[in-house]
Amino acid sequence: MGTINTLSTYLERRVSDLVRLKKEGKKVVGYVPGGFMPEELVWASGAIPIGLNKGGNYEAVLKSTEFLPRFFDTFSRSQIGYWALEDPLYRLPDLVVVPSTDKSIETIASCWELWTETKVFKLGVPHNVESDHAFQYYLEGLHLLKEELEKLTGNSITEAKLRKEIDLSNRMRLLLRKISQMRKSERPPISGKDFIKLNHASFYTDRDYMLTNLESLSKELSEKDGKKGPRIFLIGSSMAEGDYKVYDLLESAGADVVVEDFSEGIRPYWGEIEISDDLILALADYYFKKRTPLPALFRPSTEERSAFLLKLAKDFSVNGIIWYSMLYRESYDIEGVYFGRQAEKKGFPFIKIVTDYNPAENFSLQTRISAFIESITVR
Amino acid sequence: MLVLGIDVGAATAKAAIYGNGKILSTAIIPTGFDIIKTANEVTLLVGKRIGCSIDDIDFSVSTGYGRNIVPFANKTITEITCHAKGVHFLFPEARTIIDIGGQDSKVIRIDKSGNVISFSMNDKCAAGTGRFFEVMARVFDLEISEIGPLAIQSKDPCQISSTCTVFAETEVISLLARGRSREDLLGGIHKAMVLRIISMAKMLGYEKQVVLTGGVAKNVGVKKFIEEEIKMKVMVPEEPQITGALGAALLAEAEFSKQLTSGEK
Repeated sequence: MGTINTLSTYLERRVSDLVRLKKEGKKVVGYVPGGFMPEELVWASGAIPIGLNKGGNYEAVLKSTEFLPRFFDTFSRSQIGYWALEDPLYRLPDLVVVPSTDKSIETIASCWELWTETKVFKLGVPHNVESDHAFQYYLEGLHLLKEELEKLTGNSITEAKLRKEIDLSNRMRLLLRKISQMRKSERPPISGKDFIKLNHASFYTDRDYMLTNLESLSKELSEKDGKKGPRIFLIGSSMAEGDYKVYDLLESAGADVVVEDFSEGIRPYWGEIEISDDLILALADYYFKKRTPLPALFRPSTEERSAFLLKLAKDFSVNGIIWYSMLYRESYDIEGVYFGRQAEKKGFPFIKIVTDYNPAENFSLQTRISAFIESITVR
Repeated sequence: MLVLGIDVGAATAKAAIYGNGKILSTAIIPTGFDIIKTANEVTLLVGKRIGCSIDDIDFSVSTGYGRNIVPFANKTITEITCHAKGVHFLFPEARTIIDIGGQDSKVIRIDKSGNVISFSMNDKCAAGTGRFFEVMARVFDLEISEIGPLAIQSKDPCQISSTCTVFAETEVISLLARGRSREDLLGGIHKAMVLRIISMAKMLGYEKQVVLTGGVAKNVGVKKFIEEEIKMKVMVPEEPQITGALGAALLAEAEFSKQLTSGEK
């Protein structure tokens, strides 16, 4: 596939491009891509946003034991691991923004604060999405972030710049949604792995370059048919860049992911920001209140969110749902049990699998995934 | 038509030959260091019992932890699916399988056709597997076959709070030093292990008929404590270790028949 190959080649040199841009005076803002950090503000300030979303490497998990107790969320602990392993992407940020969604993600912020010289901005994310008080708190956080970014870059975030960035990010959401929806086809033109990799690429590519490539990919895919096989909905807390084991195991069992939902590792694309007179308010409205699907299950939006995910399962004609848990990410473990029962009530086969990014788990994951695919194939 | 199912588990390798609607032969041997050699040996043995060799087999399915490296298997299928088919053949009313093997344990819910509805598996921790009992038998200097009968003699099983095999061993030694009887300690050990398995079954949901399989199903203490915990009678096959291999043989037959019908064979 032309565009996917072009993007892969581009990504190989993107980090060195970023190093060069930083040397030329550009500021780099890292963030945890959990869906609550408006990238638009960073672009509008003249800085370059990069989503810090690596995972899947057990070396980073082991390295993190120098800083954290062993019993802690695999994805979150890996972040300080990558920094300690001197991953070039993790050494770039002048500022790291961490939306504090739960204690695991909050600890990513603490690690940056305790062990690195990089400045950290904690963006508070209250859990009650329906409360006006919570909304005002998040909105205030965005105003503070705007000030922080202006201080970092020396540029002011004007309405015109922000409006332009919102338009561009809405365009990216629209294109990702269009490509995602092509997977409703009996023969999806793009594999689950390629789709998630597109999302991951979008966290640190140049956004104009990404938009151009998404446009051409969307055209390419509209003329293509892929493989037919068992259709999987993959859900979980985190799908990190590099953590593609589940996709590979599904592919070797003849199945594929046709739709997914993660808190960290995917760009929310089901809706767009509605532009209004107050653009910061518009950002808060989208990122905190109106985003679809609503923020993570353990917030008060549980029922609406479950209903939305089950509707997705129906719309994409999935044969089964896999809940992909990080070891010791308790909040999602708890919700996985609840959501599994909702899914089974609606007739969707469901399985929860757990990872610690440890190669020793490969065989047991293979057994679980193969058995699950065998069980849904005979239904 | 002669078909073979071979289940290479972590502790034992099992094989079953099926033909004309009957189980014709079964064999069980310990899994050695060399899995390919073990697979060849158990196949030789299961065939020898009815005077046939691998050349007489029309189709074979391998399963279990060593399934991917059985050189002569025509197809590999996971042990979850194979246990479901094997148990369904022996107990058509079965809806829940509790399988406790040498190094893993699983709970499988099946439908009236023997298809898997859902399953849960523990293959990460020795507590809740046959390995747990091997360690405990060693503490008491007993054979593995002796601990179950002693456990059911307990009138007041000890509370074993450790959920880790290593710590449970330490806890048992300290309770021994405090003078608790062997029966009560073994009763407590069995209860602790059963509670782990049953919590997995409760999480998944279980319904009757419940069938207990795997090497640990031979332990009368485990069967008794499971029945007490779920307040339901538990069925145990005459040879509880063979259900995976039997299911593999049944699936081999189905696959071979399908290929014959479609003209692939």
